[in-house]
Amino acid sequence: MTATLHFRSGKKRQFRFSWQQRDALNRRRNNPTIPKMASEVEETLKRIEGQRGVVGTVVCNADGIPIRSSLDGVATAQYARLLRKLTVMAKSAVRDIDPQNDLTFLRLRSQKCEIMVGLENEFLVIVIQNLHQ
Amino acid sequence: MLTCSVTVSYGSSSRALNGSISGLHQVNHSSRHTGSNVSRKGLSMAGDSRSTIQTPRQTVRVLNENGTDVTPQPISHPEPGAKHNRVYLDEFSGPSDILSMLYQPTTAASLTVPFSRSVFCSSKISRSSLSTIESVNEERVDTFYKQDNYPASYVQVEREEVKEQVTEDMLNEVVNIYLTETETITHLDMPGISVSVDADDAEAIKERNNRYAELCKNRMGNDKYMDRSMQAFIGASKSKQVQCDSIVMVDTACEATTWDMYDSFYGAEQDKTELTAEPEKSGYSESIVNSSRGPEKTTSLLSTTSIGNTTLEETGMCSDDAADPRLILQSEKFQKVLLVMERCILANIFQPKLAAYRQLPIVEDCDSVVTPETMEHREEDVERSLSPTLESLWVFSCELTKGRTISCMAWNKKNPDLLAVGYGEFDFRDQTPGLVCCWSLKNPTWPERVYHCNTGVTSLDFSAKHPYRLAVGMTDGTIAIYYVYSQDKTCAVSSSKCSKKHYSSTWQVKWAEQDMGLSGDDKEEALMSISADGRISKWFLHDDLDLKDKKKKGEILRSLNAGFCFDFHPVDSSIYLAGSIDGTIYKCSSSNSQQFLETYSQHFGPVTRIKWCPFNPNVFLSCSLDWTIKLWIQDQLTPLLCLTSTQKQVHDIMWSPKWATVFGAINEGQMKIWNLDYSTLDPVIVHMAAPGVKMTSLLFALQTDCVLVGDNSGQVTVYQIKNFTVGEGNQVDTLESIISSAVARL
Repeated sequence: MTATLHFRSGKKRQFRFSWQQRDALNRRRNNPTIPKMASEVEETLKRIEGQRGVVGTVVCNADGIPIRSSLDGVATAQYARLLRKLTVMAKSAVRDIDPQNDLTFLRLRSQKCEIMVGLENEFLVIVIQNLHQ
Repeated sequence: MLTCSVTVSYGSSSRALNGSISGLHQVNHSSRHTGSNVSRKGLSMAGDSRSTIQTPRQTVRVLNENGTDVTPQPISHPEPGAKHNRVYLDEFSGPSDILSMLYQPTTAASLTVPFSRSVFCSSKISRSSLSTIESVNEERVDTFYKQDNYPASYVQVEREEVKEQVTEDMLNEVVNIYLTETETITHLDMPGISVSVDADDAEAIKERNNRYAELCKNRMGNDKYMDRSMQAFIGASKSKQVQCDSIVMVDTACEATTWDMYDSFYGAEQDKTELTAEPEKSGYSESIVNSSRGPEKTTSLLSTTSIGNTTLEETGMCSDDAADPRLILQSEKFQKVLLVMERCILANIFQPKLAAYRQLPIVEDCDSVVTPETMEHREEDVERSLSPTLESLWVFSCELTKGRTISCMAWNKKNPDLLAVGYGEFDFRDQTPGLVCCWSLKNPTWPERVYHCNTGVTSLDFSAKHPYRLAVGMTDGTIAIYYVYSQDKTCAVSSSKCSKKHYSSTWQVKWAEQDMGLSGDDKEEALMSISADGRISKWFLHDDLDLKDKKKKGEILRSLNAGFCFDFHPVDSSIYLAGSIDGTIYKCSSSNSQQFLETYSQHFGPVTRIKWCPFNPNVFLSCSLDWTIKLWIQDQLTPLLCLTSTQKQVHDIMWSPKWATVFGAINEGQMKIWNLDYSTLDPVIVHMAAPGVKMTSLLFALQTDCVLVGDNSGQVTVYQIKNFTVGEGNQVDTLESIISSAVARL
């Protein structure tokens, strides 16, 4: 017996057994979906990633866990971990001087590249850009 | 151990008791002990006494190596009335049970002493050391049989011999447990031997002390006293081990930072305000984040120690659980941060160009690798750069604008970094929808605002009084006003519904200050437009654009001439010049809508642009499709100068905002910069467009010497004018002299 499954993406698949159909449905339901963004934000992020010299971008949540990244897993984890520590210390320094102030942006320029970190309370945006071609 | 008497009533199952006894039997079996034999015997006897009730008695007999029966006899024979007591023996399966029985307050005195002793032992023993349990059992068995009558105490552990099934209801019953304090147990009492001097019997004690001291003194050599030795028994010492739970030590450190204290004080206040402001955002709200920050931030960061690495996790940013990643990515803050980030990246990329635009010294990037090739290039540049030329800095273009013709450009009156560019085709047959893009200097790759229009855009102007208002004129005659401060993509106001709107292309729109009242003192900014239907209209902004017809140009103009461009006098904004499609320039006044003040008709083709000179209020320039640019004085009907360089249509001219004698002009394929001081025959700079590209629009940058040129491929190129030497000052005098000499020649 065959069962036809219509997926939301529009494709149809034929299954021979009902347990196959059930499995397919469960797989779709249980797959962790990549969080959707507003389309403008998505476009902006794509534009940033496509700019000249940009190596990659990482978006982390408040705990330093990457939500979205254009680098591979190892590099993502490394950047997220190291820059989280740095931003926490930088934020502490800024707020120690004036508690009503807060850190919004951090730029780290090195010989080969520049790391830019945009900060908010709830997230962290890291962009790495290579200088000179 | 818990020192309290517990009254518990429940049904018991004897099976558990038997099992516990057997367990203990086995334990005793495993630990070989000199006294264990006796204790085992005692136990078994107890078991027997118990089993007289239930099972047949088993006689146990102990035989030594000779075979003689050395079965210890009980010291006291239990009476049948002491049945209850025997039951208690079953209870030594656990120390707590022992205790519960041992604390019978009505125990006889003889019982208490050994019991108390054993209590001490057992209270210090953990459950694992069973040897002492045995000794306890031993003792108790001994002492137990001393008693003949064991009065039943009022605190009893009722163990029913009748088996009662534990029913569901019994399990659900509420069991009352009463905890009471027992009497104080004194473990050690050492009264002090010092007496206060002020005490009542101090004198007597002092007397005694003195007597004793004398006695001791007299003892030496006295016959009354004789030394004699005695041997004392030294008790066998026994070491006892006590085990307790290991004490867990934790190191905690805290650093109170200034912001930590500030947050603790003011964080609570912020919570209240934020909670009232944003009641909807619950799971993600900053209020929750703030409140959770308090206790977490007490473990503040330690930078130096390794412990600090873990505590760092909890500080600074709020680590309250899961701001949903989706919420983060969709939040406005994220968008703003991305905007700033994009601009930073682009600033890195375009830094030298922007520095040149802003006339800042361009610093060589010290990290960049300098190769011999680049050195050569630089040398060549130095050589070439002697003649006035245009250097291209960057281009405003993106995918949206590819292939579109730029029809107009305008700077924002308040923010000189904002540029509005209108895209629309000149060809009437081409009905592609138009586009308006607001570009920022900080982002040449993507416009800040994009507005899609129904038809091609012909003209743009930013308002001076309300710098967020952008007026757009289109080829179908509609005029729309956009408010650029919001991200809203739709136009705020449109004239499409107005009855008196233009029914042909609006060629130019401009915001101009107009006298409103009769007194002529109050000036209001109104939107003026000129269109191909021959009307110049003045618009007022209510909810929708409303039109008050400013001037009907009479049948002559309406039937024959369509207006193409106009410009308002820089000083007296009620006077304006309008150019028509037949080459005539009319000088009109907004107060007089019936007649023209002047008519200048020297052009042979449609006048494409008229511009008053910003430095000299009497002078204006006009250009037309008849290949000429003419310089006029207000009063004279013939132009002073007629400039032609190539035989191409001139689309756009603009006076330079910096120098009075300089202006730029656009032919189809060339951009020219004229300096009247330098030459009236040839332009100073001629810049060729890329092949196939036609330039269409020109704009001078207001504060720097840069020129923006729009072409028909959708690109706005920013050029910097280099090596352009003009005399000092803004050349107004030079212009005057040129004009006066030209006048003299006529």
